[in-house]
Amino acid sequence: MTADGEVFTPVRVLAERVRTRRLSPVALAETFLDRLERLGPRYNAVVTVTRARALEQARRAEGEIAAGRYRGPLHGIPYGAKDLLATSGGIPTTWGAAPFRNRVFDYDAAVIRRLEAAGAVLCAKLAMVELAGGMGYRQPNAAFTGPGVNPWSPDAWSGGSSSGSGSAVAAGLVPFAIGSETWGSILSPAGNCGVSGLRPTYGRVSRHGAMALCWTLDKLGPLALTADDCGLVLEAIAGRDPADPTTADRAYRYDGEAGAARSFRFGVLRGVTDGCEDAVRENFERSLRTLEGLGTVEEVSLPELPYDDITRTILFAEAASAFEDLIESGGIAGLTAPEDRYTAYARDAILAKDYVKALRLRGVMAREVDRVLARLDALVAPGRASVAAMLEGEFRSAIRGTARDVMGAVGNGAGLPAVAVPNGFGARGLPTSLQFMGRAWEENTMLAAAAAYQSVTDWHTRHPGEQ
Amino acid sequence: MSEAEAVGVEVETMLELVRERYGDRLDADQLASVRTSIEAIVQAARALRAVRLTNADEPGQPFSAYRADP
Repeated sequence: MTADGEVFTPVRVLAERVRTRRLSPVALAETFLDRLERLGPRYNAVVTVTRARALEQARRAEGEIAAGRYRGPLHGIPYGAKDLLATSGGIPTTWGAAPFRNRVFDYDAAVIRRLEAAGAVLCAKLAMVELAGGMGYRQPNAAFTGPGVNPWSPDAWSGGSSSGSGSAVAAGLVPFAIGSETWGSILSPAGNCGVSGLRPTYGRVSRHGAMALCWTLDKLGPLALTADDCGLVLEAIAGRDPADPTTADRAYRYDGEAGAARSFRFGVLRGVTDGCEDAVRENFERSLRTLEGLGTVEEVSLPELPYDDITRTILFAEAASAFEDLIESGGIAGLTAPEDRYTAYARDAILAKDYVKALRLRGVMAREVDRVLARLDALVAPGRASVAAMLEGEFRSAIRGTARDVMGAVGNGAGLPAVAVPNGFGARGLPTSLQFMGRAWEENTMLAAAAAYQSVTDWHTRHPGEQ
Repeated sequence: MSEAEAVGVEVETMLELVRERYGDRLDADQLASVRTSIEAIVQAARALRAVRLTNADEPGQPFSAYRADP
């Protein structure tokens, strides 16, 4: 019973084969461990292959399923975790940063524990931008593992900061991965690599054991081949956790049938494609025509507020505090990107009064966007304004203020869920993406809309060759 | 004082603070880059300050009281 034909197969399909014992979890783990070890270095996608832990979990899954104790759709399914999630058993947790490359925790992050309880098989800790990009990086080469290489082109970036999570799914190194997003770090690598990514509502998934970049902005979520797979993973990792008091006491059940035979109301923010590359705009307009077959599309607007400034101020202030020791000790000098070694010093210029003003304006922002979203199922927009940046040189970034990203500023600032799915190809043959963003706690609606889009398109079924 | 002059004064004040704290770690090019970052921070802060709020507009992330069980 081998698993060579299971690469680029959605979790839902793999799960059925595992459940019915047509596919061995051990063989499945061996297949992906081999790919991680053989192809991971090509994409700078992997920090640590967790072979021993994976095979132990896979053997346990195989035994349990043989004994009739099937846990659910992630039982026996391999995955990778962004290397900011704490793992026990001597597996390093590096945060992508050279100063922490040998650091080991003696506990598992809540998400790792929940995936283990679901029977998933941890095969790798995946590469990421150092400190999740919180120190002001301006170039892809900002991790001690090197720049994340895009499986669609060896000259292109896989995106940040969940670089390895995006490239590992795109290259068929794992069926799904866990990433984190403070502002763009799930949707960006998902879009750059042509895979599906889900940013859950803030408070949906416990952050316990995850590196803190910004306490009020950080979210953890899945990247996978399909929106449907993202839902399966979210159900396993969501839920209240006393160790993370920001988690909400709201049960979450993924409803994979939620999109069947229903009509959606989509909104498009006026001017949302301003500044987008031509191919991104063209692909988005084509996507809108597809969405018109799934419901209605109308133009909407938000009141004028300094959305980017609100979220950026919160991000910079909290990141400066989260890494106060590393910054003030001068430890940032050990980071890889030269600009990460000093840019954070500027954040001493943020006044407490301005940070609190940003928090107050966040409340206004959250109410205003909810007012718009209340009569819609989702706002839709390009996932990114451009295709993946080149590996060399500086990229444009809304976080640094060299690009605009109202959807990202509002979505992350207000803690709203969003799903990104591939919707075509643009410059240099690189993927473009479409995002669906909705009201708080409406992940099922976002996933249903994205799944409906994927049911009538085939962009998510296209995969890069082995470059 | 014009808006541009006011921004410049604020930037220089903040830059002096950073130079006082970390100047021994920064060369001229790095200090210039930090200055650019401070300009962006100051511009963002001024955009936030320009929006008027009422006394009732609380932060979007309220603190909650803590009590260990039981």
